[in-house]
Amino acid sequence: MNIKEKLKKIKDILLHSPLPVKCSICIMGTGQLLYKQWLKGITYLAIFGAMIAYMVMYGVTDIKGFITLGTTQAEPWLGTTGDDSVLMMLRGLLTFIIIIVFLTVHISNIKDTLNIMNILKSGKKIPSLRKRFGYIMDKKFYVVALAVPVIGVLVFNIIPILFMIIISFTNYGGDIVPPKLVDWIGFGNFVKIFGLSEIKQTFVKILSWNVVWAVIATFLNYFGGLALALLLNKKCVKGKTFWRAFPILAYAVPGFITLLAFKFMFSYGGPINYYITSAGANAVGFLDIDAGITAKVIGLLVNAWISIPTSMLLATGMLSNINTELYEAASIDGASSWIQFRKITLPFVIFATTPVLITSFIGNFNNFGVFYFLRGGLYMDGYFLASDTDLLINWLYNLSIDNNYYGIGAAVSLIIFIITSIFSLIVYINSSAYKKEDTFR
Amino acid sequence: MKKNKMSKSKKIDAVITYTILIAVCFVFFFPVLWLIMASFSKSGSIYDLNGFFPKSYSLGGYIKLFTDTNMYDYPNWIKNTLFVSIGSSVIGTTLVILTAYTISRFQFKSKKVLMKSTLILNMFPSFMGMTAVYLLMVNFGLINQLWSLILIYAAGAPMGYLVQKGYFDTISNSIYEAARMDGASNFRIFLRITLPLSKPIIVYTALTSFAWPWSDFILPNLLLKKKDMWTVAVGLMHLDETQFTRFAAGSIFIAVPIVILYFCLSKFLVQGVSAGAVKE
Repeated sequence: MNIKEKLKKIKDILLHSPLPVKCSICIMGTGQLLYKQWLKGITYLAIFGAMIAYMVMYGVTDIKGFITLGTTQAEPWLGTTGDDSVLMMLRGLLTFIIIIVFLTVHISNIKDTLNIMNILKSGKKIPSLRKRFGYIMDKKFYVVALAVPVIGVLVFNIIPILFMIIISFTNYGGDIVPPKLVDWIGFGNFVKIFGLSEIKQTFVKILSWNVVWAVIATFLNYFGGLALALLLNKKCVKGKTFWRAFPILAYAVPGFITLLAFKFMFSYGGPINYYITSAGANAVGFLDIDAGITAKVIGLLVNAWISIPTSMLLATGMLSNINTELYEAASIDGASSWIQFRKITLPFVIFATTPVLITSFIGNFNNFGVFYFLRGGLYMDGYFLASDTDLLINWLYNLSIDNNYYGIGAAVSLIIFIITSIFSLIVYINSSAYKKEDTFR
Repeated sequence: MKKNKMSKSKKIDAVITYTILIAVCFVFFFPVLWLIMASFSKSGSIYDLNGFFPKSYSLGGYIKLFTDTNMYDYPNWIKNTLFVSIGSSVIGTTLVILTAYTISRFQFKSKKVLMKSTLILNMFPSFMGMTAVYLLMVNFGLINQLWSLILIYAAGAPMGYLVQKGYFDTISNSIYEAARMDGASNFRIFLRITLPLSKPIIVYTALTSFAWPWSDFILPNLLLKKKDMWTVAVGLMHLDETQFTRFAAGSIFIAVPIVILYFCLSKFLVQGVSAGAVKE
């Protein structure tokens, strides 16, 4: 149905429907009452009343507050309490969400009256409430089953993200935290990131290192895992379970333990420096602020240590799916094992794992743990609250959690979102599972 | 193939293969071995180790872990971690399985919208939401609460429903249709047919959603500022070089159960990882 037809249908409902439907459009629940659907009508009416009461008591002021973000600042000397801008942002956001929920309920109410009207028109009886309840529990099982997860995701994922998006358009953060008043500054934070000297320089430097990191780390992990899987898959290897246990061990140890252990290993008192000093040389600050490329290389290797087992498990699964007849045919044709690998194994594995490759690219792009643990909290000259190994996600942490630059931090996270979403879109749109959702049936 | 018929090149190939294999396994094993040895070190500080090896061995590290709890209350950390992990594993698994099953099994109008919006939501850096969650929790005074962690973990779990959906997609529709013909309600079908058929994926989901809070550090580090609320991850992060034995012992102690769990379930693990990958 195109938009024109839809509009025509809505116009039709508005003009030519019987009185109860019109009543329901104006005041929720009245239509049901006119059709003598008492319980339903009263419930809808109660929701309608509650909504009006909410809007009168809080809603209108909350929306006003959302627009102004507070007008009076607290004066501790005079003992006056001012407006809390952050709370106002939050309450405004909640009001908008409540309005949206109310509108969907309202639409369901109109649909319900139309439904009753159609049933009466066709001369059937309106099903009893108990029957309807049973119908909803069974036929609309998906609504019941998905209600809790959807609400959970709404509260703990969507609202925070919306809140973050809102914050990125304000000057919240730095010195400006309640009781000081926060203001809307439009794209001010983005202008700062792309225009202001120090922040812009930091952003450009971190972004370019972040891309380099993600590319190298992804290839290292991917081909490392593939090589390991192929090695374990060789015919001459006996006791595969035994050998496979070592990477799985590395996979099973919680990541933060591994990362902290490696930090200790490369620290001044750590074993590596112990051997260096006992050989007579000076201790090396592998992860010091001026470590430069050493710290980056260590980061890549440590990340490989953590991630290669996962990609090995994946590749092992893939390899077991290859049709062995292909190899037999190739051997008969006289293909060497190297050619078999190049012409059969590699294309198959790469084909099957391309989506994983790109998801793991995004995972590495947003790899928070490695540099947070290895050398978190270092601030270098020439960087605004960051160091040369920090990725965008680490910078985001430094900005918003450690230094309260919420506005700029939120803007950075929106930029990360835009970058990763471009990659993700490519993955998901091209992924076969998404395109042919039901072909596996 | 008889051994004496093995060609020379194959022998060389085997030698090279095994050499690489031993080297790789050493690389993976050595850091773990180092931690295990360090956990039995008699002295607490990293400076007293002879390189990778302790000067003398004792069980002191482990005993101190559970008795010397003034500064670092390890038993309490474990208690907190277990509470959060079990809570979020139970609630999270229920929600994920329910979501994945429903989306896989039913055709409804808003399904595409739902799937697309989870895709978009997954593109936001998880961290971005976390800063906002932190701000929200601070504003509503919900900081320093273990159950708020459980809520956040469990509520976020359904976002990763794709692996489980991939599994449910493989269950043939005809089983369901037969049950429908016999007049079973959808809820009954879910309990009596789906759940028994999906043991592997439930185990996989429960394990991963247990392991995630067990080893997460970002969220607890953000939300648990009080010392007696710390989880193991947060606590171990606060140990410095002079407490190295305590760190090693504490790490080994919480790593062992999870490693054993992974090994027992490694069959499911490979299945789960590859099922998710193929279908994603």
